[in-house]
Amino acid sequence: MKNKIIIPLIAASAVFITGCATDAHYVATGGTQNIVNVGQINIQDYIQAANTMTGELLASGALDRVKNPPAILAISRIVNNTGKQIDTDLLVKKIRVALLQSGKAVTTTTFGLGGQAEDPLASGMQQKSDFLNDKNTTGKADFSLSGKIIQLNARAGNTTQATYSFQLSLTDTAGLAVWEGEKEITKQGTQGSIGF
Amino acid sequence: MKTKIAALFAVALAVAGCHDTMNSVENAQREGQRNMVSDSRVVSDTSLNRKVGVVGVNTAMTPGGFLKVQVELLNRTGSLQNFNYHFEWFDQNGMQVGGSSTAVIADEIAGKEDKYISAIAPTEVAKDFRLKLILGQ
Repeated sequence: MKNKIIIPLIAASAVFITGCATDAHYVATGGTQNIVNVGQINIQDYIQAANTMTGELLASGALDRVKNPPAILAISRIVNNTGKQIDTDLLVKKIRVALLQSGKAVTTTTFGLGGQAEDPLASGMQQKSDFLNDKNTTGKADFSLSGKIIQLNARAGNTTQATYSFQLSLTDTAGLAVWEGEKEITKQGTQGSIGF
Repeated sequence: MKTKIAALFAVALAVAGCHDTMNSVENAQREGQRNMVSDSRVVSDTSLNRKVGVVGVNTAMTPGGFLKVQVELLNRTGSLQNFNYHFEWFDQNGMQVGGSSTAVIADEIAGKEDKYISAIAPTEVAKDFRLKLILGQ
């Protein structure tokens, strides 16, 4: 009878104790302690790709060739050709932030692919302002930024490899790609026989 | 017998190590002139420093007015070494800039290889830099 009470009590205590003891902790985003997966793009990959391509874009001087700096950028389609569903803003937003902080470019949020405004309220404000000032600034942009993310898998024995290719094009109003960038990140690891 | 096995093991290691080294060739009369900068180094990982050391640092300005830094590394060992690095940037007041989103970049260097890593400052106000090197896995 005593055992019938004690054993559930011990079990409940064990569950309670293990429930509290987690090893959750913070790590620096993009640091060496971040988890690396072969089969998916990790946050450090997005950061690395965005930083590299932003640096190359700024160094090229392409954004400086506008009449009225800073250059106005419209975000076009970023095609996801990887095996996973990803939010391309993990790449594009980092580039937008870096370009804005550099002072070389600003991004329009009232003009997007298929006439869709990223910020509908801002679009309304712009239309009102245009009406009051007898102007038409809708769709005004110096460049369009488009791109593609591609995944290429390879496997030899127990070793799996994935190369992620981040490709971006900056197109001017004449339809010419005035800058193009590509950053490839390759990851390798050993894995069991199931899945990639 | 023990000596023979040890000798064979050493030879095998030496032969295997040779496969990771790098041969290279370049033009003897260089056209380009590198703007070398004097650097200040803090070495906390002597093991990494013995394996992969900094040979020199040179800088240039991009057409857009951004500071570009190139660091020459040398693998002093005869085997492939993995390392991680990232650059930090500072303005003229010594304040860090562009540090909100940085990633440690994984790279590798073959045995005896001389390799360059470079980075472009995220903003025109960046005047100084710091490179951090971490031993890879």
